[in-house]
Amino acid sequence: MIRLENVSKTYRTDKVETLALRNIDLRVDKGEFVAIMGPSGCGKSTLLNVIGLLDRPDSGIVRIGDGAVGKRADRELARLRNVTFGFVFQGFHLINDLRVVDNVELPLLYRGTPGAERRRLARAALERVGLSARMDHYPNQLSGGQQQRVAIARAIVGQPQVLLADEPTGNLDSHMGEEIMDLLESLHRDGTTIVMVTHDERHAQRADRIVRVFDGHLMAPELAC
Amino acid sequence: MLRHYLLTCWAVYRRRKMFTAINLLCIVLTLVVLLVAAALFDFMVRPPGSGANDDRLLQVPVMTWIGRDGHSRLQAPLGYRTIEHHLRPLRTVERVAAVSQPQSVTVQQASGTQAMLMRRVDADYWSILDFRLLSGRLPDRDDAAQGRMVAVLSATAAARLFPGRDPVNRKIEASGQTFSIVGVVRDSSHSHGFADIWAPVTTYPSTEYRHQASGNFTALLLVRRGIPLSEVRAEVEASAQRFVFDDPSRWERAVFWADTQLDAVARNLLGQTDTPEPDTAVLVAGLVVASLAFMLMPALNLVNLNVGRILERSVEIGVRKSFGATDGQLALQFVVENILLCLVGGAISLGGAWLVLAWLERSDLIPYFTAAINPAVFGYAVAASSVFGLLSGVIPAWRMARLDPVHALRGVA
Repeated sequence: MIRLENVSKTYRTDKVETLALRNIDLRVDKGEFVAIMGPSGCGKSTLLNVIGLLDRPDSGIVRIGDGAVGKRADRELARLRNVTFGFVFQGFHLINDLRVVDNVELPLLYRGTPGAERRRLARAALERVGLSARMDHYPNQLSGGQQQRVAIARAIVGQPQVLLADEPTGNLDSHMGEEIMDLLESLHRDGTTIVMVTHDERHAQRADRIVRVFDGHLMAPELAC
Repeated sequence: MLRHYLLTCWAVYRRRKMFTAINLLCIVLTLVVLLVAAALFDFMVRPPGSGANDDRLLQVPVMTWIGRDGHSRLQAPLGYRTIEHHLRPLRTVERVAAVSQPQSVTVQQASGTQAMLMRRVDADYWSILDFRLLSGRLPDRDDAAQGRMVAVLSATAAARLFPGRDPVNRKIEASGQTFSIVGVVRDSSHSHGFADIWAPVTTYPSTEYRHQASGNFTALLLVRRGIPLSEVRAEVEASAQRFVFDDPSRWERAVFWADTQLDAVARNLLGQTDTPEPDTAVLVAGLVVASLAFMLMPALNLVNLNVGRILERSVEIGVRKSFGATDGQLALQFVVENILLCLVGGAISLGGAWLVLAWLERSDLIPYFTAAINPAVFGYAVAASSVFGLLSGVIPAWRMARLDPVHALRGVA
């Protein structure tokens, strides 16, 4: 479903060059739950951003489905992100000026889904994460765990092919972290492909496969328990 | 999508009250000045008072004599003889009125003297301009033919001269002549209508005015229905070529043109006294450029404010991009937000401009000025607000919409 072939990425500032990814080859199959682990600054978030088409590699090929992404125009990349990926961020990144339901509708808005259909799908996604009673609340009226569940509802509302989660439990206490992991696991059981960056070994062990990154390299693959 | 933009916009402006207030103040101050200027310009080119005849009304305010020596020129208002011989016989016009420039006269009353403005007009004047009679009657052809010493007062003049009393059938003494008041009309603010006192042309102390080629008259032409203005202009121009001078050895030819009110304003402001048709397009374009230039500085200030406002929403930009927003959609969202704020500012500015114009009206700085926020000025307000919104919104919106999503999500744009 997703293939990275010999992908490299370097960040350049005025004086410093940082090689974030070096010759990465990675394949994620449909229905897989992949955890990406590694120390801080090793390039795991960059890897997730390249997979999610938020960042362009300097070299190498990113394939989504059968096609190479290449140098597509902004409009095409936006459409591809919209239909292929759902993002869950460590800091939730909900828009505080919008109600919960409006936040969840966001991917459908950019897909051109009619208003009534958007509302129906958003309600269903919120029911899936157990927050349909909070759809008219604003994000800052919710706890951290609830906000992350709203973020997951936003990520799944458009039924994307892949859920990309960047340290989804990083800002939560262990109890709420477990709740979020239960939710991700449940989505995975229902067939959602998930790629998750995490620091937490226990959470990574709940994935099908762990990919370890060190200094921009992929380490030898291993199977989770 | 628009509903979503409106929801976001409302929430953002409600959350950032101080920013919204500063933004609105900047917009309102700029637009009030522009709207007052627009209302004054509108008053100049479309003065109230010509009513239903507005689109059929032309004026010949001045004539220019060109000397045989090639450089002598004389520019003056028309004489009554010129109107009688060269304009009244025109086949393309329905009526021609002669109206003198307003002249200062001293009106003697038992309570003292008052300085007032007086015009001498012929009978057709009253049917070409749209006067509203408040009491009495208007002078007719018979009054003019008989040389009756009758006069009409404006409502303001009537109140000054005869406070609390009906002035009809009372007498006034103006510059040594005694007039019997036959009517009172509502104040007129038309450029050829405003005055305190009107009397028939035949009340001049001497008949000398009848023989003058140049004098102190303007001719108002009411064009026949269905006749294009260009045809009238051509006939007036041709009539000027047949002008006969008292001193043909000195003067070679005379030129005068029939102008709309806008033409007359353009001719004055651009100094195009020798051109058959003044460059009204240049005048309008110049005013549009001046408006844009005036908006530029506050717009640049708003650009800075907007960049700051949008920068603090960089995470939101990253999130929207992650979920499929294009650069264009984001830019449009921020531009719509800014234009909406400017339209709200425009609405407040209309109120502000109305207050300033009402003050101008009461202050008597401009004689018989009447404040008007009419549909044209309202349209200008909407246009100016939108242009101001675009000027101050497009650059920051486009710049911020093109943020790299990874940097935007980190909030380090």
